[in-house]
Amino acid sequence: MMAREARGRALALLVAVAVFAAPPAAADEVYRLEVAGLACPFCAYGIEKELAGLDGVAGVETEIEKGAVIVTTRDDARLDRETARAAVRAAGFTLDGFRHLGPSE
Amino acid sequence: MRCPGAAIAALAAMPSLAAAAAQTFNTALPVGEGRYVLREQLVHRRAGGDPTGAERVSTAWSAVSVLGYGATPDLTVFAALPLVHKRLDVTTASGRRVERSAGGLGDARLFARYTAFRADAPGRTFRIAPFAGVEAPTGRDDAGDRLGRLPRPAQPGSGAWDGFGGVVATWQTLAYEIDVQAAYTANTGADGFAFGDVARLDGSVQYRVWPRELGGGVPGFLYGTLGANLIHREETTLAGRADARSGGTQLFLAPGLQYVTKRWVLEGAVQLPVAQELNAAGLADEVIARLGFRVTF
Repeated sequence: MMAREARGRALALLVAVAVFAAPPAAADEVYRLEVAGLACPFCAYGIEKELAGLDGVAGVETEIEKGAVIVTTRDDARLDRETARAAVRAAGFTLDGFRHLGPSE
Repeated sequence: MRCPGAAIAALAAMPSLAAAAAQTFNTALPVGEGRYVLREQLVHRRAGGDPTGAERVSTAWSAVSVLGYGATPDLTVFAALPLVHKRLDVTTASGRRVERSAGGLGDARLFARYTAFRADAPGRTFRIAPFAGVEAPTGRDDAGDRLGRLPRPAQPGSGAWDGFGGVVATWQTLAYEIDVQAAYTANTGADGFAFGDVARLDGSVQYRVWPRELGGGVPGFLYGTLGANLIHREETTLAGRADARSGGTQLFLAPGLQYVTKRWVLEGAVQLPVAQELNAAGLADEVIARLGFRVTF
């Protein structure tokens, strides 16, 4: 009886160690790009395609009224200003601002 | 006599496509690098008012496919291929009314535009782009019927290599867009026949009529459009002599609608001649109607 309880406690301890010792799951990161020159819906498609084609990008959403593009990266992927600038330029527009908003909620 | 089919192809195949651009001429923003834009436009044109006893009436249908590719962020190359059907109704010397027609592939156009100046700001942009290209004689110029070979203006193709070029400027905001284009087409000859050169000045205003207020995301835009086209054609020449029944100056106004989404554009306009100074017995345009769509991929 006591041996069974001891085995149970050991198992619980092992599970707890495994849970707390595991690295935390990587969070998605969110970036806000201000795009100058974005003035019609047809323009937005090219920007979204360019940004969505970057490694690690999980989602792209455009707010045309604000001239903003919200980019979400997955796992450990990160987006830097120069990569964003090149993608926006390839689409035919100008990167006017870049902010890392932090992990997605 | 002017050439409705060739003119239709010329009207529909100038550089542009990537934005909510004008309908009666193609201008506007570049196609993104590595992206494509396909435009299909159906154009109907009718010309008449022949003061001679021949009472000529010319009608033309044209389906023009234009594919644009963004070679770089500033350089876009285009290929335009028209399918045309032309019909000429004429009263013969014996007083009989006859219909003559020809159809098929028209003359293809290859051209490029380069954005030489670009000023982007939040929610607006201003761009200037020269463009140039050639028109290849891919359409037949020897079509005939039981009455013999059709007149050259009624042929699907011109039979000649032609060159064109110009410059286009675009000012676009979220609320409206203004495009202005100046273009010149130098027509060469084939078999002793040559269409006259064409100089044109085009303008277009597009105003967002819906939605009045922009919410989140990217809603579709409905634009009311108004185009203006001032076109001057030199006389055609046949065996080195000018044809007095051709050439002249025309001014068109073109009200229309355009619905623009992220992936596609649906558009339609009617071009109405408001002033026509035509040489001698040239046919006068009565109406030009356009319906088309664009898709990007």
